[in-house]
Amino acid sequence: MLYRETGQFKISYAADQSVFPIAQDRWFVSLIIVIAIFVIPVLASEYLLQAVMIPLLIFSLAAIGLNLLVGYAGQLSLGTGGFMAVGAYMTYKLTTAFPDINIIIVFLLAGLIAAFVGLIFGIPSLRIKGFYLAVATLASQFFLLWMFNKVAWFYNYNSSGTITAPPREMFGVVITGPMASAETRYLVTLFIVIIFAFIAKNLVRGRLGRSWMAVRDMDIAAEIIGIRPFQTKLIAFAVSSFYCGLAGAMMVFLWLGSAETEAFSINESFNVLFMIIIGGLGSILGSFLGATFIVGLPIFLTNAPQLVGLSMPIDMQKHIEIMMFGSLIIFFLIVEPHGLARLLQILKEKLRLWPFPY
Amino acid sequence: MIEAESAPIQGEHKEVLLDIAEVSLAFGGVQALSDVSFDIYKGEIRAIIGPNGAGKSSMLNVINGFYHPQKGTIKYKEEVRKKMSPHKAASQGISRTFQNIALFKGMTTLDNIMTGRILKMRRGLLWQALYWGPARNEEIINREIAEQVIDFLEIEAIRKTPVGKLPYGLQKRVELGRALAAKPDLLLLDEPMAGMNVEEKEDMCRFIIDVNEEFGTTIALIEHDMGVVMDLSDRVVVLNYGRKIADGTPDQVRANQGVIDAYLGVSHSN
Ligand SMILES: Nc1ncnc2c1ncn2[C@@H]1O[C@H](COP(=O)(O)OP(=O)(O)OP(=O)(O)O)[C@@H](O)[C@H]1O
Ligand SMILES: [Mg+2]
Repeated sequence: MLYRETGQFKISYAADQSVFPIAQDRWFVSLIIVIAIFVIPVLASEYLLQAVMIPLLIFSLAAIGLNLLVGYAGQLSLGTGGFMAVGAYMTYKLTTAFPDINIIIVFLLAGLIAAFVGLIFGIPSLRIKGFYLAVATLASQFFLLWMFNKVAWFYNYNSSGTITAPPREMFGVVITGPMASAETRYLVTLFIVIIFAFIAKNLVRGRLGRSWMAVRDMDIAAEIIGIRPFQTKLIAFAVSSFYCGLAGAMMVFLWLGSAETEAFSINESFNVLFMIIIGGLGSILGSFLGATFIVGLPIFLTNAPQLVGLSMPIDMQKHIEIMMFGSLIIFFLIVEPHGLARLLQILKEKLRLWPFPY
Repeated sequence: MIEAESAPIQGEHKEVLLDIAEVSLAFGGVQALSDVSFDIYKGEIRAIIGPNGAGKSSMLNVINGFYHPQKGTIKYKEEVRKKMSPHKAASQGISRTFQNIALFKGMTTLDNIMTGRILKMRRGLLWQALYWGPARNEEIINREIAEQVIDFLEIEAIRKTPVGKLPYGLQKRVELGRALAAKPDLLLLDEPMAGMNVEEKEDMCRFIIDVNEEFGTTIALIEHDMGVVMDLSDRVVVLNYGRKIADGTPDQVRANQGVIDAYLGVSHSN
């Protein structure tokens, strides 16, 4: 009885076009944001922040980025890891060359460079689609990692070949590097992710989002109503890569502290792709759900057996994890391409009619 | 409301909106159009008819820049067109619907119709990212126009339904809505009533007449149902095997022996 739209009449198109037209959704999301900002940093342990919350948020951002490209614009990409690496390595280069520039600004600049790289690698989408485009983006993944490995300039010629987050402050608080506390890094991550999640939502509910979906659903018809498909796809590649680049930068500077190219391998690309398939293609909320699921499941499988007093060997956990991912991906691809987000929506529709479904 | 960007000129002297002269189009060995010439007056409903494979859809595709004729000239709004693209045609006020529905299946009715407004929306990426100020105003203004179209076509109830889930007849209506949302000067309709039941056909006829009369939109219409064609159109051009075989008022065309033969499948050797 609580989840109702009854009585909530939209008196203006502005209200009807808002991000959460139903008041309960608005309250619920506000509540989650308030909890995330005020409650979690106080209650959560260092472990929970470092092992769950920070990666969950960073992968959500990467998943949003990929979802803009795959779910909204319909261009399959396996280059996510490569674009994330661009963001990370460019942040490293920029902040070591210009230590005085605020690190958040550096993240954004690195994101812009990633956007440009994404745009270049999006050019084949003019000619090729679907599977073949995925293979082309796979090539970009391998090329970028190879480059960051081979060209020592990218890691400042250090002998280990790793990039390490140097200490950077904002408002007198250390937010990157070994001295930065998990709470601080969590909060910085959270703010960036909230802002860019809203920006993504704004983009997809406006003209650009409709152009992306039009090109996805039928590019010929899109052209006939005046959309330029190629330009639209390139913008999708650029915006998507910006998000992935930003996520890559945050991964090294707000989460791992240091990384090699290995951290951005093809496995990461697939991981993020699985997140949007399970969470829901073409849904910002789904990107969060998918990231939560994929980041959370291994942790759950590690801890759950112990909680009920069982012990499960590590390799068995891995196998269960892989089997679950595999079967879920097949399930969602075949049965429900809109993923968890869609299941949640169905649940809400049921709830709206409950307890009188007719 | 949804009136065309410029009003029609009434009176004896008809203004030519589109003039097609000796257009030929071939696909490899298939001659889809051979030396076809006809014109469309501003404000009229012009039907294009002919048996299957006559080249009617190809003609529309030429008009909206999707196909490029090998020969001939096309004059639109007093200007001879050079290289054409669908995108450019759209920006010059040409909208269309397709013989096989070409909607964006994953999007709602409202979003589909809003895509018809895309060329009228100008705000850049950053404004859209903020969804604030000019970008938000632009959304609202264009939403109002989309809502007028939705009212006009009486599809309020399916506003938020993904079009892939709609029955065929309604999809055709939404597709018309998307074309109308652009407030076209020239509206090209490729068999808008194909596959509809009588009631749906009547609705569609009413919409077409209303668009033409209330908003002065010029319409080029392909239709197989002769009753509909004779009722709706001001003038009819008849194609057969890529050639024009008749052109005139519905009565003139109906009485034309060549047309009767073409429809009866009689070979006409002259
Ligand atoms: N893209 C294309 N490639 C090759 N041939 C084509 C193409 N488009 C049309 N044709 C050919 O051109 C001829 C005219 O086709 P068109 O679709 O214009 O006919 P139509 O009058 O619209 O027929 P219908 O009533 O069946 O829709 C046909 O022989 C068709 O096979
Ligand atoms: Mg046809």
